Amino acid sequence: MAKVTLCTDWLDVCSGCHMSLLDIDENIVELLKHVQLLSSPVTDLKHPPEEGCDVGILTGSISNDHQEEVARRMRERAKILISVGDCAVFGGICTMRNFFDLEEVLQRGYIETESTEPGSEIPRSPEIAKLYPQVKAVDQVVKVDLHIPGCPPPAESLWFAITELLAGRTPVLTDDLLTYD
Amino acid sequence: MPDVQVTIDGHQVSVPANSTVLDAAKVAGIDIPELCAHDALKPIGACRMCLVEVEKQRVLHPACTFPVSEGMVVHTASDAVLGARRFVLQLLFSERNHFCMYCQTSGSCTLQDLAYEHGLTHWEFDRAFPKMPVDASRQFFVMDHNRCILCRRCIRACDELVGNRTLGLKNRGADTMVIADMDIPFGDSSCISCGTCMQMCPTGALMDRASAYMGATDEITRVPSRCSLCSVGCGVELIVRGNRVIRVEGDWDAEPNKGLICEVGRFGLLHERRQRVRKPLVKADGALADADWDDALQKAAEGLKSAESAVVVSGFSSTEAAQAAVNQLPGKKMALGGALVNGDNAPLSVLDETDLIIVADVDLTEGYNYRMASFPIKRSARHRGVRVILLDDEPNGLDAWARYKWSPDEAERAVELAQHAEMPVIVYDQHSAALAQELAAQLPKAKTIGFAPEGNTAGLAEVGISEPFANDGFSAYYVIAGEAAEVPQELMDALAKADFVAVQASYREPWEDVADVILPSPVMFEKDGSLVNTEGRSFELKAGVTTRRPSEVEVIERLGALL
Repeated sequence: MAKVTLCTDWLDVCSGCHMSLLDIDENIVELLKHVQLLSSPVTDLKHPPEEGCDVGILTGSISNDHQEEVARRMRERAKILISVGDCAVFGGICTMRNFFDLEEVLQRGYIETESTEPGSEIPRSPEIAKLYPQVKAVDQVVKVDLHIPGCPPPAESLWFAITELLAGRTPVLTDDLLTYD
Repeated sequence: MPDVQVTIDGHQVSVPANSTVLDAAKVAGIDIPELCAHDALKPIGACRMCLVEVEKQRVLHPACTFPVSEGMVVHTASDAVLGARRFVLQLLFSERNHFCMYCQTSGSCTLQDLAYEHGLTHWEFDRAFPKMPVDASRQFFVMDHNRCILCRRCIRACDELVGNRTLGLKNRGADTMVIADMDIPFGDSSCISCGTCMQMCPTGALMDRASAYMGATDEITRVPSRCSLCSVGCGVELIVRGNRVIRVEGDWDAEPNKGLICEVGRFGLLHERRQRVRKPLVKADGALADADWDDALQKAAEGLKSAESAVVVSGFSSTEAAQAAVNQLPGKKMALGGALVNGDNAPLSVLDETDLIIVADVDLTEGYNYRMASFPIKRSARHRGVRVILLDDEPNGLDAWARYKWSPDEAERAVELAQHAEMPVIVYDQHSAALAQELAAQLPKAKTIGFAPEGNTAGLAEVGISEPFANDGFSAYYVIAGEAAEVPQELMDALAKADFVAVQASYREPWEDVADVILPSPVMFEKDGSLVNTEGRSFELKAGVTTRRPSEVEVIERLGALL
């Protein structure tokens, strides 16, 4: 049987969820027996191939137009899309800024912070991604098939979900595998 | 009315006719989630987490408010019920800021626990992100409206249990907010900082400043003990992490306080600013300096032996320490805080049964003064229409709850009213014992509650230390002070004049100017022992933490061996 193909990508995120994936330790050898990792932020190939993959994993929330494009591309190319981590699932810590206007946030971040050099400006180059006024969870933008919350999700949750999927079952997170912090 | 038969998830139970479905489920041993409901509060059905399916009823009903009826068949875990609960949870999470990862209550949160229980992996609804204020105007705890789910537990606790009625609501629907008084900062309001609301809060909306982020449910241990700071002797739970008490909560199962404690009991010691005595201190060249135990005990023994000495024991000592003082130390024994007021005290529970309360010249809302006792008085006045008569010339914290306020000189007016009461209760302390006696003599039906000073004055009396301190011209004193802060001026004057003073105290103040030797004493969190409260009940004090310093009793025994 051909290996299951997997692509992962990250959006507005601290990268902790990918660290948690690497935290499955020696199981990563076992994982690679069954799964072919086509692309991820921590390997050479960053983008899911046009011909698609079986499983796509997204971590992080959607805070700008670039991230929305990444999320949409992953959705188009993956048969099963999993959002991993509180940011992808709920919006998470990135949504702290949703309680403020975007301009207030930029003003605070680039002008008013105690460490800002005098004369600093808010970067507004057309080449950088455009921040959305509200940070969104992945499932507010594209359809998501499975949610694994956690900040980050324990490596055990990720390993459980992957092995359940490989066994052809829908993973149901319970007890210590379901966590929001 | 005869009991009714109810079937819940196939279990048939027989319950009193005025029960709710939730009561019946508890009898049947079936768990129904509760969020706004609490055993100590009247149910209001605000949160809808306890929705159940009742056969022959058109819609789901909240178990906490729905009354049982004969032959009722209830399902608590049907697909419709579980679906509705998940829906309710998602609505609650979508409303304000319920992101767990940066909330101090994560790990001790009822809302979070319920979401885990119901397998909530994501929220289907858009979030509102309303910008809500945080009110940090109170000294000991903070109200974060962003974490509030409007369950109204705090409001009901403040009203039903404490009788203070500081909290309320403003606005409607999603804009509803918990407010204090007429929407003023909590710190400027009529709040008495007892913290009952915080103990009730099922989410992170009310946050203790001292223990925030210091330990979730599975990182802490709860040690049931007693508060020995006044003679009510409230049952408390010491919340301990890493051999440190991080918070004090009222013990819901404990008499006489039933879960309530006052500002002093909850926050007093954890926010104490006086300097702890951690090592023995001996006065040399007019200043106290660290000494080792042997030297300090030797010095204390020499000083006490050289003159006619007396032992003054505070009611912050355990009964065991008082007993050790009686057995081991020579000299006259006197009680620091004053006399035990009488031997015929009614239990505090009569305050919830009486129809008229006379508060005889004592303010139950200030200092260490038995503040817990003001709660049943307030709630009786508010909810049962009990007439509260204050006999006081000064402003009193119960003024707003009193039907009448007269000068103690006009006691006969109170007698006139109380004569017609079913069961008048007279509340007093040692300073107003004469007034209370005068009232009680004229009111044969009256019950009296006289508050003993300090925590364990009744325990001291049991071992024979019942005489209050009087300046009989002793030239040396040994004071077993514990946490004592308010010390009679007469005692301080006597100590200042004495040739030698040794004190066993938890804090340097107010002893450092008068003491020649100070020996460290544990605070209530650190000691095992027993105490007798003003009702005459014996309670066990349990140490929440261990220290390397010797116990109260051990210090007394070691000193006694040298005398």
